[in-house]
Amino acid sequence: MERQAGELFEEFQELTASEFFRKNKQMLGFSGKIRSLTIVFHELITNSFDAAEEAGILPEIKIDLQRLDKDHYVLKHSDNGPGIPEDYVTKVFCTMFAGSKFRNIQSRGQQGLGCSGCVLLSQMTTGKPAKVTSAYKENGKIKAVEMVLKMDVKTNQGLVLEKREVEADKTGVQIELHFKDVSYSLSEQGAYEYIRRTMIGNPHSKIIFRDPTGHKYIFKRASDVIPPLPKEVLPHPKGVTADDLIFMAKHTDKRRFRSLLTSSLSRMSTKRVNEIQEITGIDLNKRPKDMQWDEAERIVELFAKMDFMAPPTSGLIPIGKEQIEKGMIEILNPEFVASTTRKPVTYRGGVAFIIEAGIAYGGDSGRMVGEQRKAEIMRFANRVPLTFDQGSCAITEGLKSIDWKRYGIRDMDNAPITIFVNIVSTQVPYLSTGKQSVAPEPEILHEVRQTTMKIARQLQKYLRAKKAAKEEALRAKVFDTYVPVILKEAANLAETEVPDYQPVLEKVTRRAQAELLGEPVDEE
Amino acid sequence: MNNDAKLEAKLNRKNIAINKLKSLGETIIEDVHQNKVPALRVPSRGTSNIVYDDIKRHYVLGDRYGKRSLGNVKQIKKIGQMVYTANFCKDLVAREKTATLRELYYISEGWDVDFGDQQESNIVGEDLEVTLGMTREDLGLMPEEDGASVYGKITLQEGDIEINALRAGKSGYTISPTIDEVEFVDHDVKRVIAVETMGMFHRMVQEEAYKKFDTLIVGLKGQAARATRRFLKRVNQELKLPVYICNDGDPWGFHIAMVIISGSAKLAHVNHDLATPDAKFLGVTASDIINYDLPTDPLKDIDVLRLKELSKDPRYQDENWQMEIKKMLKIGKKAEQQSFSKYGLEYVVDTYFPEKLEQLE
Repeated sequence: MERQAGELFEEFQELTASEFFRKNKQMLGFSGKIRSLTIVFHELITNSFDAAEEAGILPEIKIDLQRLDKDHYVLKHSDNGPGIPEDYVTKVFCTMFAGSKFRNIQSRGQQGLGCSGCVLLSQMTTGKPAKVTSAYKENGKIKAVEMVLKMDVKTNQGLVLEKREVEADKTGVQIELHFKDVSYSLSEQGAYEYIRRTMIGNPHSKIIFRDPTGHKYIFKRASDVIPPLPKEVLPHPKGVTADDLIFMAKHTDKRRFRSLLTSSLSRMSTKRVNEIQEITGIDLNKRPKDMQWDEAERIVELFAKMDFMAPPTSGLIPIGKEQIEKGMIEILNPEFVASTTRKPVTYRGGVAFIIEAGIAYGGDSGRMVGEQRKAEIMRFANRVPLTFDQGSCAITEGLKSIDWKRYGIRDMDNAPITIFVNIVSTQVPYLSTGKQSVAPEPEILHEVRQTTMKIARQLQKYLRAKKAAKEEALRAKVFDTYVPVILKEAANLAETEVPDYQPVLEKVTRRAQAELLGEPVDEE
Repeated sequence: MNNDAKLEAKLNRKNIAINKLKSLGETIIEDVHQNKVPALRVPSRGTSNIVYDDIKRHYVLGDRYGKRSLGNVKQIKKIGQMVYTANFCKDLVAREKTATLRELYYISEGWDVDFGDQQESNIVGEDLEVTLGMTREDLGLMPEEDGASVYGKITLQEGDIEINALRAGKSGYTISPTIDEVEFVDHDVKRVIAVETMGMFHRMVQEEAYKKFDTLIVGLKGQAARATRRFLKRVNQELKLPVYICNDGDPWGFHIAMVIISGSAKLAHVNHDLATPDAKFLGVTASDIINYDLPTDPLKDIDVLRLKELSKDPRYQDENWQMEIKKMLKIGKKAEQQSFSKYGLEYVVDTYFPEKLEQLE
């Protein structure tokens, strides 16, 4: 029977963001039991870090994970951040796409899905509400409120089930969530490893973690320096699309399109605007709202052909050599560590990024597999560990393309080495919505290689010196042992006194050392 | 030589050995006094430093040296082993004793610088020989094995004992490793015939070849030991007796003869004391195989290979050798020296030797 369009569209409905993600939870990264739990850790930790840093507080997080049943966990996560004012608590935890990070700014999270996503997952798998306690300063006094919340997916809003004021002596947020269909694992993709890596990328933080067996891990703070807050930078012309331009035009308070361009894009001077007008023939004095799609397209096409100064890099805050090394030393206790932070460069012509890398050798570096330590790669984007989709990532690809034998590492896979790579950018080009791997842009691959090769040379030098020292000790011992007995025997043979051989012994040892270091040996 | 002169010569030999060993120690101590890192120069025995001397007609060492320095991790142990061995040898010579290489190896266990295996101690023994330019027998070091058997009219003196090689039993006098200590008292022979096998030796004794040819019979027992070669060299030089060698007719027999004649590459540093360039190869040659129609075996692959090697060896460059090697390769056959018994046990002594000796003399 034929049905009319109207009938068909009776079933047509609008999905809220919450409802959409309820049906597509894998888009939030919640796919697989281990991965789901790791993503929960990731979202909560990142939010706590961001909040503390913005408030100028050194982050300290306590996580308590209890297992109630197979695949059924209770997670208690609390931080020492500034807290969330009562009115915003439901927005933060129960509304998708609510947040303060929709700007062109270097940040850990970007989409505002994090916390509410965790609440959604909890609610979907257990039906239980979330319990949130927020302590924050109001008019100089600490106010604390405990709330029990549910998310109304139909309206993308929070429902407060219970609310009461509680006592608190310091600020911070605590959230308690139930999860089913998740799994705690010590594997490379598991929650524990996520925390360990987080600590390397964020040596200014402290995390106390109690695992389901009751074991308490204390990850100490290796540095007291709170990273400076990244500044928002205007997008670079080479980094925008026609859609971006139309979006800006719709939301601007500027009267003319030309002033929109100069105020919304970096490196855009009046001279440049005039050039654009001249070449495209588009009247840039018109109101932004009158900008047509095809005109925006032509402008963007022209951007690609024009020469602009590289984008400003003031918005990029790398971890920095000293901090990376502190983090690696604290967590890996290596016998050798080296790191470096490169100068900012751009990919796709207009997006600035910085690559920084660290290498740790020996100690707890590398990953224990059976009895043996194997090389491990720790990938980070804006300090956040990337745990999944390692294979397709630009960082992995860049590192794998290095000929490690040239750096004195014959069997890279089986070496006790941890390589740390962090990409810093306002727009990290992720390969997928899970944000777990960086797109292999040629410039990024190049930077990853260059950065790592630079510190690999330092490692090579260290390994060489170590080997030389070992051989030297061996050599010195050989001389110390043999020179006296041989000269005694030679004196015996010559029927004479044993001469004072100390100067010769010293000479011999010195010469052997010079030989070892490849310095010229004075022949006699 | 009268007895005093003999005693003096012997004392001389002993003193030279002791002095040379002592000077080795002095070189090292002197370097230390001068604040130099002691090093010994040891003539290289690598194949590239062993050259055939056409005039001397045997192998000699070239002029390349290796260094054993006290300042080199790899060499310091070697120099230590040399000094310890030198001291050991000095003591042996002074007390007029000898020790075998095996004994040297075991004695070294008590040293601060010992040897990993006997191979290592043998090499250090050779190092000492080439460095000092003396044979190891001069240094009191003796090989394990005895030398060949000698039968015939010769009287020798070993210490206080006089030995007549005609009255030392059917197996004759056995050449002692300390052959340099032995004096030739008297002889009544015109030549020496050395044979490869003891089978042939006994055949010749039984057929009284020593009478028929006025010869000493020497049973080599395969490859000639150092003492045997030294003996042949001494009878050739001191008693002016021509030396003939009769071996199996195959490349291995050829080479046993050649080592007696021109010395081995390995002992290039002592060949001047061991090689007897005037000794002559009597047979069995490839020509003999044809001329006497001897029972033969076909050449094996390894025989052919060895023959080809020999044809390129500088010691075999003389026309006659080249011809015999080619001939043997051509007929593809070899024959043992005992194959003459095809014509009766006596044939070899009655017919073959006289004919061959006539040709060579």
